Amino acid sequence: MTITAWVPFVFYAAAAALYIAHFARRGPRSGRTATAVLGAALVAHTFLIGMQTMQAGYAPLVGTTAAISAFVWLLGLSYLYVELTTDERAMGAFVSTLLAALSILPALNPAIDPRPALLRSPLFTIHVMSMLLAYASFALAFVLGITYVLLFKEIKAKHLGFFYARLPSLQVLDVMNGRAVVVGWLFLTCGLAVGIVWASQIAGSPDPRAQAMHPTDPKILIALICWAIYSFALFARRAIGWSGRRAAYLSAIGFVIVLLNFLPVGYFLTRSHNF
Amino acid sequence: MRLFAVGVSHRTAPVELRETVDFARRGLDVALAALRQRDLAREAVVLSTCNRAEIYAGAESDAAAESCGRFISEFNGVSWDALAPHLVVYRGPEAADHLFRVAAGLDSLVVGEPQILGQVKEAYSTASELKATGALTHRLFTTAFSVGKRVRSETGLGEGAVSVSYAAIALARKIFGRLKGLHVLVLGAGEMATLTATHLRAQEVGRLTIASRTLASAESLARDLKGDAVAWAAMPQALAAADIVVTATGSPDPVLTRAMVEEAMRPRRGRPIFLIDIALPRDVEPDAGSLDQVFLYNIDDLQTIVNENLARRGSEVQRAESIVREEVERFRAWMQSRDIVPTVVALRQQFEAIRQSELQRLEPKLAGLPPDARARVDEITHLIVEKLLLTPTEQLKGADDEATALAYADALNRLFKLRAREDE
Repeated sequence: MTITAWVPFVFYAAAAALYIAHFARRGPRSGRTATAVLGAALVAHTFLIGMQTMQAGYAPLVGTTAAISAFVWLLGLSYLYVELTTDERAMGAFVSTLLAALSILPALNPAIDPRPALLRSPLFTIHVMSMLLAYASFALAFVLGITYVLLFKEIKAKHLGFFYARLPSLQVLDVMNGRAVVVGWLFLTCGLAVGIVWASQIAGSPDPRAQAMHPTDPKILIALICWAIYSFALFARRAIGWSGRRAAYLSAIGFVIVLLNFLPVGYFLTRSHNF
Repeated sequence: MRLFAVGVSHRTAPVELRETVDFARRGLDVALAALRQRDLAREAVVLSTCNRAEIYAGAESDAAAESCGRFISEFNGVSWDALAPHLVVYRGPEAADHLFRVAAGLDSLVVGEPQILGQVKEAYSTASELKATGALTHRLFTTAFSVGKRVRSETGLGEGAVSVSYAAIALARKIFGRLKGLHVLVLGAGEMATLTATHLRAQEVGRLTIASRTLASAESLARDLKGDAVAWAAMPQALAAADIVVTATGSPDPVLTRAMVEEAMRPRRGRPIFLIDIALPRDVEPDAGSLDQVFLYNIDDLQTIVNENLARRGSEVQRAESIVREEVERFRAWMQSRDIVPTVVALRQQFEAIRQSELQRLEPKLAGLPPDARARVDEITHLIVEKLLLTPTEQLKGADDEATALAYADALNRLFKLRAREDE
């Protein structure tokens, strides 16, 4: 089990190396190979998650580590969907690096946590999946935002170089960033709403974690802050023309907070979500 | 069969001469038909572009190259004395090397320009439709297409705009994605403005607005380019609505100040604007470029990009050339094997025939032998023939160059009285 747990990481790392090589040298063959290896990584990862589900009898979504694994899987799938529909591989170098880095955590700790009675509700699964899909969208928006800024700076400085030759147009990056934020915001809103309903259902439980389900818990508080930031990003783009660089910066800030919430807060600080 | 290429190009002939040597004027098909009528070559392809006029052909004799050169002069009505000093002949692998360089864009006036590969393809398909091509030219040209393709995909030889207007269009694409549907404003109605506006029109931009200090000239240019003209006073509103602005007025002072651009940006809600200042002296205050979402490029900036692209193309030349060398080597090996294969086959056939006839002759004496002994005799004679042929075959295939290979083949043909035939 411990060796199989490393399989997705190895594939993701290989895909990242290929995407970076493709980004640097722009060979059409290395690009297709990178996509194929990422596809293989996702198949292997799907297989692993499937095995864990069969073994445990429930989807492995309990605990931060399992959630990261599911997040990596969803982000990989979302990215692959975007790549195949837009035929644009430039983001792959950034996304697959993130995938490889994050997939180390579940590989180090592959044990599936037992599912406490508290989490047997289908609402829990919907809540977690929605939140993870939202975070995956925000990750894509973040990567799109970063690349937008890199390209913007090159064009503005009249120094057309590395990114100019490799990235799609500013317009495309901006529109895709906007879409990713919309999709992410919808999932985040849904995830939070389901989370609130579910928390109210378990409010009577003696479990201390159910007692801590309150907006002042760090994990919940930061999720709400995220929601506020992305809501503002949506509003600002439509109402006051905050597109382009400003939108890019907002989605970068948003995703940094998402990551903070995911890793340090998820592992050490929260009292309500430490399953 | 001897492969050769003969013709003139921008490297060998002045423009006055190239203008008169133009096969396309009377049609490539006419040229190919005339070439065939004179029976100058077994197979031929005529390549004619504004920078070159060349015949690639395969013929039985080396003299065919000069005959084709004379054909070029006759067909185009240029005197032989005027043409001959500029005519270049490439023979054998050199012809392949030349065509591959042409197809790769290495021999073009602007190195790496992409049109030439299409022109080479067209030249071949025209010749092929008229059944003027054969196995040799087929292999030569299909290899040339793949050289062109490889150079484009494996090197940066064709990358980056190498003219100011294309550099501006490439930049606009990098900012806006597609140019379709964008609103272009042109300030000025002079020569430069007309040229750039025509270029942008060809990119299928959505709307073209022209503003000039004299409304009449703006209106006349607008009519030509199916755009609309606005009075100079209405320019600030047009500015606010435009995505791409080309300034090319003759004004001694900037016509667009930072304040004007700032004002125009206000109602745009962050929609970017691309200012292309191709006027000298400049039409846009350089300071305007520091505004958010404003991309300002003047003629010098664009020229710098063009120069960088040209330099980058230059550094890619070596990589392209190594691809050409590789493919020429492969083509040369193929040609050589083509030259010697019929000889090798004929030689083997002759040896085998001798063996068979000797076995036949000895049949009465062999008849008394037990079957396995007879089989042994057959095997031994076969092995002797194989051993005798091994070294000469290897030597023939390993010949350093085409001339040696042909000389060997020729010697074998004579020594053994072979009747080697070239398979087409």
